[in-house]
Amino acid sequence: MKKLKIFLRSLLKFMALGGYLIFALIPLYWVLITSFKGPKELYTFPITFWPKSLDIENYKFLFSFANFGIYFRNSLLVSLGASFGALIVSVLSGYGLSRIGSKKLSNGLLLAMYLTQMIPGFLLMLPLFLMLSKFGMINNLFVLGIIYIDMVIAFGTIMSKGFFDRIPVSLEEAALIDGCGTLEVLYRIVLPVSLPAIMAIFSFFFVNIWNELFLAVMFLSSNDKMTIPAALNSFISKAGISWGVMSAGLVVALLPTIIVFAFAQKYIIAGLTEGAVKE
Amino acid sequence: MSRNLKLFIMVLPTIILLVIFTYIPIGQEIQIAFENYNLYNLSNIYFNGFDNFIDIFTSVDFNFAQIVLNTVIWVVVSLVFQFTLGFGLALLLKKPFKGRGIYSGLVFYPWAVSGFAIGLVWAWIFNGQFGLINGILMRLGIINQGIGFLSDPHFALASVIVVNIWYGIPFFAIMLLAALQSVPEELYEAAKIDGAGRFRRLVNVTIPYIRPTIASTILLRTMWILNFPDIIYAMTNGGPANSTNTLANYMIIKMYSFYNYGQAAAIGFIIMSILMIYAIIYLSIFSRLERGII
Repeated sequence: MKKLKIFLRSLLKFMALGGYLIFALIPLYWVLITSFKGPKELYTFPITFWPKSLDIENYKFLFSFANFGIYFRNSLLVSLGASFGALIVSVLSGYGLSRIGSKKLSNGLLLAMYLTQMIPGFLLMLPLFLMLSKFGMINNLFVLGIIYIDMVIAFGTIMSKGFFDRIPVSLEEAALIDGCGTLEVLYRIVLPVSLPAIMAIFSFFFVNIWNELFLAVMFLSSNDKMTIPAALNSFISKAGISWGVMSAGLVVALLPTIIVFAFAQKYIIAGLTEGAVKE
Repeated sequence: MSRNLKLFIMVLPTIILLVIFTYIPIGQEIQIAFENYNLYNLSNIYFNGFDNFIDIFTSVDFNFAQIVLNTVIWVVVSLVFQFTLGFGLALLLKKPFKGRGIYSGLVFYPWAVSGFAIGLVWAWIFNGQFGLINGILMRLGIINQGIGFLSDPHFALASVIVVNIWYGIPFFAIMLLAALQSVPEELYEAAKIDGAGRFRRLVNVTIPYIRPTIASTILLRTMWILNFPDIIYAMTNGGPANSTNTLANYMIIKMYSFYNYGQAAAIGFIIMSILMIYAIIYLSIFSRLERGII
């Protein structure tokens, strides 16, 4: 009887785990399958659950006629560039806030950063658009990158400060007495032991920036400047873009952040749950 | 130069960026909300009092009461299911098993994908003719004709909420799993000795212990879902017949389709006011949590 109970319980658990897995993977399965379906198979009844032949026409079309190579390059450029920029700025400010002598000042500035976290990006895009178009600074990937940096640094500062707070100051004090400068201490002593946090913060930045849609649509008007989300958005209304080509584009849009997540999962989870759980 | 000054200078770039690209724009956003500001008529920008708000509240095409109701349903239903399913997943993952690392990667990845891109994928899954769901239902013989999940006002809101639930499960699972792992094993042992079964241990030991995490994740996520138009924008853009329109998506429509910046900013102002009230509630609940009152 007891054995049966244990067996039933693990069967139930197994089925529940399987259910979650299927639910999670459905969209990936369907977008991949669709991206390999030829135009005929795409719109036929009854629908096929597995492509009859692996057709790479959609990907060919995507990268030749639909210029997806350019969008991919733009996305990669702005995501990597802005993530690196934001990493430097927020590590500096996180360290500054963590070590600054005045508790009052540090808490006040931290509060100002928390407040910005409440404001969603799409709320800011209108005034930003009007402000920057006055200076002719729209349709510019570099300017968009700066806005992306602004969008993530408050979070990066909060996260890196939290991490630096837990590194004992004693190591740094010895180095300071030996005549090392503030930046040198950060660079030589603090950063080497902070690599996991840096990895987590960078992955956060990359994922957020790579996925950003609304600012990109608003700010990038010419075809050669568009990032992948902006390009996919223009596909919706474009004639001649089948669901097959769209799916191929979606695969290219989805894979990079999934890969980043796969490699940095441990750090991302540690970073996400940092501070949320009391020890 | 003193060390403190040097440290302050390190914080300065962040402060300057936030002032220029966040704080000043918020001020301008509020100003535009009270102006007649239309891209088609840029030479005629003037202060128009509460006209934008009146236009929004009395609009026939975009019934404001319905949009508010949609927003509430969108937030509450998504949150309830995200939390319950996320908690369930966390409980399943608590004890180590072979392949747990890979498994959690495969169920947690939605956290990292673009809401817009995955919304488009799901739109194709829900497609009224060639979608996966209709395909399966037809293959099973349950229906003969495709259901217009996204074109029928009866199904549309439920469909976009399903996708939002899919998107939000990993966040709760990740946070709650970490909290679960912090519960001391001795507490369970003691409860076991007292004869508490699985369910009683969950209710009497686990949940009280991780209560602060539960409260903070729910509070954070409420705000986040309220501000998350990506999935709706990708799947229905508020349609059909306004049945999936939420405040956040409404603002995007006013900006992208009507170029009516005054009204868009007014909707933004309403969202900001809700956020402010919410933040005050959040902070008071949180300070009580810290003091152990809740």
